[in-house]
Amino acid sequence: MKKKTSADAAPEAVTAVTPEKPAKEKKPRTKRILTLERKHTLEVIIFLAPWIIGTAAFFLNPIISSMRLSFSEITQLKGFKMGWVGLKNFEYILAYDINFMPIFVTVVKDTLINTPLTLVFSLIIALLINKPFVGRGFFRTCFFIPVLLGSGYVMQQLLQIDAMGTVGVGIVLPPMLKGLLGNTISVVVQSFLDRITLILWHSGVQIILFLAGLQSINGTLYEAAKVDGATQWEMFWKITLPMISPIILLNFVYTMVMYFTSSDNELVAYIIDEVFVSQQFGQGAAMGWVYFLFVFALCGLVFGIIKLNSREKKGVTANGKRR
Amino acid sequence: MRSVILDTLTGKRVPRRVDFAHILLVLCMLALVCFTALPMLAMVCRAFMPLDELYVYPPRIIVRRPTFSNFSDLLNSLNASEVPFTRYIFNSLLTTGATVFLTIFVSCAGAYGLAKFKPRGSKTIFAVITSALMFSSYVTQIPNYLIVTELGLVNSYWALILPKIAVAYNFFLVKQFADQLPDSILEAARIDGAGELKVFWTVAMPMLKPAWSTLAVFSFVSNWNDYFSALVYINKDAMKTLPLALQTLAGGAGVVARSGSVGAATLLTTVPTIVIFCILRGRVMQTMTYSGIKS
Repeated sequence: MKKKTSADAAPEAVTAVTPEKPAKEKKPRTKRILTLERKHTLEVIIFLAPWIIGTAAFFLNPIISSMRLSFSEITQLKGFKMGWVGLKNFEYILAYDINFMPIFVTVVKDTLINTPLTLVFSLIIALLINKPFVGRGFFRTCFFIPVLLGSGYVMQQLLQIDAMGTVGVGIVLPPMLKGLLGNTISVVVQSFLDRITLILWHSGVQIILFLAGLQSINGTLYEAAKVDGATQWEMFWKITLPMISPIILLNFVYTMVMYFTSSDNELVAYIIDEVFVSQQFGQGAAMGWVYFLFVFALCGLVFGIIKLNSREKKGVTANGKRR
Repeated sequence: MRSVILDTLTGKRVPRRVDFAHILLVLCMLALVCFTALPMLAMVCRAFMPLDELYVYPPRIIVRRPTFSNFSDLLNSLNASEVPFTRYIFNSLLTTGATVFLTIFVSCAGAYGLAKFKPRGSKTIFAVITSALMFSSYVTQIPNYLIVTELGLVNSYWALILPKIAVAYNFFLVKQFADQLPDSILEAARIDGAGELKVFWTVAMPMLKPAWSTLAVFSFVSNWNDYFSALVYINKDAMKTLPLALQTLAGGAGVVARSGSVGAATLLTTVPTIVIFCILRGRVMQTMTYSGIKS
């Protein structure tokens, strides 16, 4: 077995070593470095090429043409000929389209409410599942299964069961309790329950990511803290939370993007409708771009805030709190 | 009491016997599970509901008089079509399998190359990918369609495979893991005389296993469930994928008369993902939780 691997590696080893070996004495030193460098870039290209080609063909190219589309109008559907119209599409969707802005605002509001809630819930669940207890595997599977079903058509089916636009299959308040609580309160409670159902259905991946983070925390940290007399409460805030902060950031962005781009998002549905049903390609593309730029700016903001925050914290620890 | 709950919350205390806090914890979990389990239960029940029960107000979750008529309706409409049912399954399996395989390979190679060689402009590439994450793929659907048409791939398997290989999310996931590969091990392999491709294939890939097995499941699930791109790129019956075929045969979401069949179709669509998950469950859960992100 070992012989085979060494034989396998031999030709490659030779090529790897040749630049070092003064094979041709006349070659100047700089040339040799260049060839090594060139070999290196070649390897990098081999690794990256499939990816870059794929991205260029099926991501960058469509994005550029959708950008062009957002400034144009389809003059001829056959052959897809475009005519430049400047900012007309944007003007239309921002000033004249009576549906776009309200849906946009609702979607943003919903996402901003749902994202922190999702994070909190998934962190709590991850903390609970992280400790050994009877039936842990069962619970873990239960929370993960929505991830399997939750994308695409099945999710839409589940969410559309009630014509009211809410989750019709979640926990419904029994009529008796409804009567007891009165109309306004029961509506609030019901929408709260619906929201939690929605959130838990979306938090499978986040739970797993948090679990991964929790498992990777070094146990000795907790022991040391315990020896120093820290309470569990302090340990959570001073050890667990800071240790998983990169995952919190990752999860935050992931969750936000997930809510913004999922197909059960109203605005995405509206854009699809605009493009595929009304065939207003230019306006659809413009909507997509307005939306994307907003999401992009929001994520940038989150990154910025967290980076600033961590820098401040680092500053504090460097100023002598530690040791 | 507070500290006991917190102990259990932070997971640092293992109750050796079943005590109050333990029971409380399990009850808590059960309550939370209800939220995720009820819709699933409803989905299963809807597949067996007779039509009159589907439209009862208030909506029912548990089926009272289970019936197989939904499935037989679905089978009848399947038999009425010219394409055999197995063809759809084959289509779905082929395109999904190929996509998963290729995306794993391409993402791992790319992410490894970017993370470990750090070529010039790697920061720009990564920035592009990160921002690509935020772009809803539905927005670029039309230009994508144009490209696929130009390449002459409409109504072929490639139309369902090629656009979904270089997915930003997959790359991002693997890159996060690849960043943490210790350079010393790769270096050791190189000193032992392994070429770059060999280092990648025999050293990096096994170490990236948690990343790509996770990726395999996610990619399978999302590609299997995705009926939208099939809807856009495929208009020949024989090339349709299973979810699309089931949805069209069941009459779509809006048709009242067939909403029973829609329920049955929905349930049938979920079966493969559940099976895949059951096969890979142990591995995925473990790799994701235990060897996930370690520095």
